[in-house]
Amino acid sequence: MPDKFYRLGCDIGGTFTDFVLLNDQTGEVKIYKCLTTPQDPSDAVEQGIREMEIHTPGFVEKLDEVIHGTTLVINSIIERKGAKTGLITTKGFRDVLEIGRGIRYAPYDVFAEFPKPLIPRRLRLEVDERIRSDGSVLKPLSREEARRAVRTLLDLGVESIAVCLINSFENPTHEWMLKEIIEEEAPGISVSISYQVLPQIKEYERTSTTVTNAYVKPLTGRYLSRLAGRLGSIGFRGKLFIMLSSGGVTSVETAAQFPVRIIESGPTAAVIAGQYYGKLFNISEIFCFDMGGTTAKSCLIQKGVAGVVPTFEVGRVQRFMKGSGLTIQVPVVDLMEIGAGGGSIARVSRLGTLQVGPESSGADPGPICYGRGGTDPCVTDADLLLGYLDPNYFLGGEMKLDKEAARRGVEEKVAKPLGVSFLQAIWGIHDLINETMAAAAKTHIAEKGGNPKIVTIVAFGGAGPVHGYGLAKKLGAPRLLVPPNAGVGSALGFFTAPRSFDLLRSHKVALAKADFDEIEEIFQELEAEAAKILKRETTEEDAYPEQGSDAIQEIKFERSLDMRFIGQGAETNVPISERDFSKIKKDEVRRRFDEIYEKLYGRTYPESEVEFINFKVRASLPVRLLQLPRLEKKKRSPGQATKGRRQAYSPMAGDFIPYTVYDRYRLSPGTKFQGPAIIEERESTVIVGEDASVSVDEFGFLWIDLVGNADLRSLQA
Amino acid sequence: MRKTFDPITLEILWRRLISIVDEADSAVSRTAFSSLLRDAHDYTCMFTDRKGRELAQGTFATPGQSGAMALGIKNLVNKLPPETYKPGDIFITNDPWALAGHLNDVCLISPIFYKGQLTAFTACVFHHSDIGGRVSSDNHDVFEEGLFIPLVKLYDAGVLNQSVIDMIRWNVRTPDEVIGDIRSQIAANHVCGEKICQMLNENELDGLDDLADQITDRTEKSMREQIEKIPDGIYRAQGVVEQMKGKEDVVIKAAVEVKGSDIVVDLDGSSPQVNWGGNVVYNFTYAYVFMAIKSMFDPDIPNNDGCARPIKLKAPEGSVVNCRFPAAVAARLVIGHFLTEIIYRALSVVVPDRVIASSGGTPAQMNVFYGKRNDGRPWHSVIIRGGGMGASSLSDGNYVYIFPANGANTPVEIFESDTPLIVEKRELLIDSGGPGKMKGGLGQREVFRIPDDQYAPIPPINLGIQAGRHLHPPEGLFGGRPGARARFLVNEEPGNPYGLTQLKPGDVVTIDAAGGGGYGNPLERDPEMVERDVIEGYVSLERAKEDYGVVIDPKTSKVDMEATRKLRERIGG
Repeated sequence: MPDKFYRLGCDIGGTFTDFVLLNDQTGEVKIYKCLTTPQDPSDAVEQGIREMEIHTPGFVEKLDEVIHGTTLVINSIIERKGAKTGLITTKGFRDVLEIGRGIRYAPYDVFAEFPKPLIPRRLRLEVDERIRSDGSVLKPLSREEARRAVRTLLDLGVESIAVCLINSFENPTHEWMLKEIIEEEAPGISVSISYQVLPQIKEYERTSTTVTNAYVKPLTGRYLSRLAGRLGSIGFRGKLFIMLSSGGVTSVETAAQFPVRIIESGPTAAVIAGQYYGKLFNISEIFCFDMGGTTAKSCLIQKGVAGVVPTFEVGRVQRFMKGSGLTIQVPVVDLMEIGAGGGSIARVSRLGTLQVGPESSGADPGPICYGRGGTDPCVTDADLLLGYLDPNYFLGGEMKLDKEAARRGVEEKVAKPLGVSFLQAIWGIHDLINETMAAAAKTHIAEKGGNPKIVTIVAFGGAGPVHGYGLAKKLGAPRLLVPPNAGVGSALGFFTAPRSFDLLRSHKVALAKADFDEIEEIFQELEAEAAKILKRETTEEDAYPEQGSDAIQEIKFERSLDMRFIGQGAETNVPISERDFSKIKKDEVRRRFDEIYEKLYGRTYPESEVEFINFKVRASLPVRLLQLPRLEKKKRSPGQATKGRRQAYSPMAGDFIPYTVYDRYRLSPGTKFQGPAIIEERESTVIVGEDASVSVDEFGFLWIDLVGNADLRSLQA
Repeated sequence: MRKTFDPITLEILWRRLISIVDEADSAVSRTAFSSLLRDAHDYTCMFTDRKGRELAQGTFATPGQSGAMALGIKNLVNKLPPETYKPGDIFITNDPWALAGHLNDVCLISPIFYKGQLTAFTACVFHHSDIGGRVSSDNHDVFEEGLFIPLVKLYDAGVLNQSVIDMIRWNVRTPDEVIGDIRSQIAANHVCGEKICQMLNENELDGLDDLADQITDRTEKSMREQIEKIPDGIYRAQGVVEQMKGKEDVVIKAAVEVKGSDIVVDLDGSSPQVNWGGNVVYNFTYAYVFMAIKSMFDPDIPNNDGCARPIKLKAPEGSVVNCRFPAAVAARLVIGHFLTEIIYRALSVVVPDRVIASSGGTPAQMNVFYGKRNDGRPWHSVIIRGGGMGASSLSDGNYVYIFPANGANTPVEIFESDTPLIVEKRELLIDSGGPGKMKGGLGQREVFRIPDDQYAPIPPINLGIQAGRHLHPPEGLFGGRPGARARFLVNEEPGNPYGLTQLKPGDVVTIDAAGGGGYGNPLERDPEMVERDVIEGYVSLERAKEDYGVVIDPKTSKVDMEATRKLRERIGG
C-alpha cells in the first residue's frame, strides 16, 4: 500500500466540478475547481486531474482511490434525457405508472401540473400472469407470451427494459423468467427488474423506482465506463468508487446496475463530512448546513449518524412542492432541501409582505451585484449591502461585485413598494431567508427527535458561513463550526464515506406467528447478497489483502426490522443487534418495539398485536480514517491575521458597526478573538456577531461560541 | 396593548403556524390505522384562535372537511362559555350537522392553554372507515347510518371518559381500527397544541389574538382584491344530479351575486331533501361553494378564516343542500361535490380562464368492501377513486383525480393484503375524456374478482358504493363535449350503485369512473395533439375521426392533414 497514498474526491455539480486531493501520509489537502462539462462530464474530470498534476506531479500513479459524486443521474431525469425505455407489467396494470397515487398536492389549485411518466403508454406492455398477495401463483406466466412482449418492445426500439409485476416482492419467479427471456432475445440490453431494484410492497412506488432505474441505466453505464477508461488512460491504477444517496460508496459495477441509488450522490458528501466531524470531535448533535446559490440542504446528525429515509421525490414540477415529483423509493440521506440560497430572489408578495425565494436567479444571470444582467435583488445582494461581503474579495477577488446596482435594485423592488427603510429591507431579506431556513430546520430537527438548543451547526457552501451565525441565533443553537475551505470542503466527506450497501426484503407476518428461524434465513440471504456486492468493490491485491473468503469477516452487518401494529400503515424501525435472530425471544422484540414507539409518539398500546413488514440489512466495510491536516504552529497573534475593519450591520445594535476583518489563511491554531468579526477565505466568508467568540483549532476549524460562558463540553456526547 | 407585526415578522410567524399543522398532519400518517387515512389521506387537521377563527390547516387538507370544519368549529366552541374549558379537555363528536356532514367524519377538538389562558383550539376530522350502521347509500334516515356521537368530552381535564370508548367499541365492526384511529387523532391534537405553545414562548407572545387579526385581515384583503376585479352582477347556473332508478333528478340552482368585493351564493329553488343518503348539510354545501370561489380567485394564499369572510351562502332549509335532522346523509358527497362545478359554470362567463369543465371525479367514488375471510376473520376496507378532471382553456384535464375533494388511491397490493379479493385491473379508460379543443381527463376502470378457490371468503361479500355520473356524464364547457359515464357492473350486468350489493365467490365487479368534460370546440384541437393521443392510446383512431375530425393513417399513425381539413370543413358546417 505505501506506494499509493493519495485519494481524490471529485464532485460534479451543475456549475463547477470540485476536486479534493488528500495525501494520506501527510494529511495534506489540495483543492481544485473547474467548470463542469455537461456534454461529457468526464472531460472536466480528466482536465481537472491534469491541472492538479501540474502542482502535484505524478500523483495519479500514486492514487489509491477516486471517489466520485455526480448530479448526472438526477439531471438526466429532470431534463428527460434518459434512454428510450419499455415496461413489462402484469395484465391490467400498464397504467399504474401514470395513475400514480392520485393525491392533488395543491388542493385549491385546479391547474396544478403533474409530472409525466418516464415511459409513455405505448411502451408499457402487459403479460397475462398473476401472483397473489401471499406469493402463490394465481396464473402462470407463458414463456411464449413473454417472448412476444419482449420482441414487441425491441421492435419499438427500446434501449432499456423495466419489469415490474404485481406482488412480485412476495414471489419473483415470473420476473426472473422475464429477465432470462430478455437476455436471450437481446443479449446485452439494459434490464431492471423490480425484485432486484426494490422488493417492497406498493406497486406504484416499486414500478416508479424500477422504471427510473431503467431510464438512467444505459447512460450511467456509458458514463461510468468512459470515466473509468479515461482515468485508466491517464495512468490511474487504483479503485474507483461512486457515492450513494444513502451516504455510502459503492463500486462502479453496482452503481451501473442500480443507478437510481446514486441520485443524490452529490449533496450527500457534506452530510458525510458532518458525520465524520461529529465522530471526530465527539459532538452529540450536529446540524449540517450547506447553503449554495440556489438551495440550502441540511441534515441532522445524531451521535455521528445521519438519518436515512426510504423515499425521495425527483423532478418536482412545482419547485419544492411536496407531491409534485416522481416518487422513488431508495434509501437517501435524510436531507432537507429548500429553495434558499445566495441567488434566492427577494420581492413583494401579492399580500404586501416580503417574500424571499424559492425562485432563484441561479448562477446566470445571478444576483444584481454580479453585473451579469440580473435585475432581481437576491440574498447575495443584501449580504453585500449589509457589509458582510467584500465587493473586492468575492471568490478571492476574481469577481468584482457592483454594490451600487444592488442598492438601486433593493430600493426600487423591495424598500419602496413595502414602504420600509432601505436598512429594514436589506436586513429583512437576510433575516427572512434565515427564518425560512430556521423554520424548516426546526421541523426537520423536531421530526428527528433532536433539540435545536444543543445542536452544533456545521456550515458549508458559498453562503453557509455567511448565514450560519444568523441561523444559529434563530435556532437558539449554542455553537457554530466552520471547517477549513468550507466553500468546497464538503468534498472531504468523500474520504470518510463508509463502503456500504442496503438491502431489504418485504414480508408481512404477525409477530405471534413469525418463525424466527425462517427470519434468520432471510437475514442471512440478504447478508450474503450484500456481501457479494461489497466483495465486488474491493480488488484482490490491495486494501483488504487477506480477503477472499475472509473478506466477509471485514464486513459489518446491521440488521433491522420494520414493525407496526396490525392494521397500521406506517412502520417503526427496530434495530436488531443480535447476530442470530432465531435466539431472540418474541417478548424481547415486542418490548423494543414498544419502547421505540412510545418515544416517537408519546404512548404505546401493549395490548394490540404487532407485525413485521420489512427485513433490512445494511452491510458496510470499515471506514478508512482520514487524517486531517494540522495547521503550521507558527505563533501569530490575531492581529497579524487582521486585514482591517469594515462597517457591517449588527442586528443587536440595529445599525452598522465596525467589524474586524480576518484573513482565514493567516489564522494560527489556538487563536481566540471576540466578534464582531468577518473571516474571509476565497470561496466563502464567515460572519460572527459581537456576542460570539471564535477560536481556531489545530486543524484550522473555526469554533464559534454563541452562548458566552456556557460549558460547551456538555454538548459532547 | 395591541401588538402590530411588521410585514416581515408577520410572514415569519404565519409560516410557522402552517408548519405546526403540517407536523400534526404527518403525525397522523405515521400513527393511523385504516388505509383510508394512511394511504388515502382522508383527514384534515387545523387550529383556530380562542374565538374559533381558523388560522391554519394542513397542506393536504381535504376541502370538504376543512371548509365544513372552519364553520363548524367556530360554532361549536362558542356554544360553551370560555371559562368552562379546562386544560386537558378533549371533545369528540361526529354530529353531521355540526361538522362535516356524515357520521364517518369524527372530530376531536382540544382547547389549548398558554400561561393559564385559553389560547387556541386544535381540531382534526378523520374519515373513519367504519362507524357501524348499514353501509349503503339508500338508508332512509341518519339512525340507520351508524353511531351518532353528540358533542361530549372524551377527556375531562386529562381524565379519559372510558364510557365513550366502550360505547364506540360496541357499535362498530372493526373496533381495534376505529379506536386506533381515535388515538391517532388524540396524538395529532397533542402535537399541534404543544407546538403552538412553543411558538408563543419562543416569540414572547402572550396569545394569538393580534397575530390572528392581522393574518386573517390580510388574507381577507387579498381575497377581496381579486373578487373586486370582476364585474358586479348576478350569475346563474343549475346542476342536475341523478338519483337512483325511478326518482327524478335532483336540481341545484345557484344565483351567484358579485357586489364589490362580496359574493353571495343563493341556492334558492334547489330540490327538497331526499329520502336516501345524498342529503347535504349546510356546512358541507358551504365547503364546496367556498372551494370553487377560493380556487378561482386566490388559490395560493394559505387557507384561514379571512378567505371565507367575503363569501356568504343562503341555502333553503329542508332542501337537499341544507337538509334537516334526521335526514340520511352518509352519501353526501354524491350531491355535495357538485356544488363546485355549478359555481364554476355560473361564473364561467366572467372568468372563463379560471374554471374547468365538469370532472369525472365529481363526485368521488367510494367503495366499502367488507365481509369475512374463509377463516372467519372480518375485514373492512374503504377505497376512494377519482375520474378525469375537466379541461380548461389552457390545458387538458388531468387524468384520474378526485375533484373537488382530494385524496389518494389505495395501492392494489395493500388492498389485496388487507382483503381476500383480487384486483384484476386498474387502468385508464380509453376515449373517456370529453372531446374539446382541450380534452377532458381520462377516467379509469377497476375490476375486482371474488376468489372461488381455497381463498374464497365466506358469503356474502358486501359492497357499499357512493358514486354518480352513471346517467348524466360530466359536461363540457364552451363547446367541449361530455366525458364518458361511470359504470357499475356485476358479472357484466348493470348493478345498483345506491344499494348494498351482496356478492358471492366467483363474482366479478367492474367499476368505471367517468371522464372529464372537454373545453372548447373539438374541431379546433391541434391535430398533432390528437395524433399524440392516438399514438399513446388515450383516444382511438375512430374517435379521433368522429369527435375531432382528425384523419390518421393507421399504418404510420400520422395525421393526414389534407383529409383532416376536408373532414373538419364538412362536419364543422
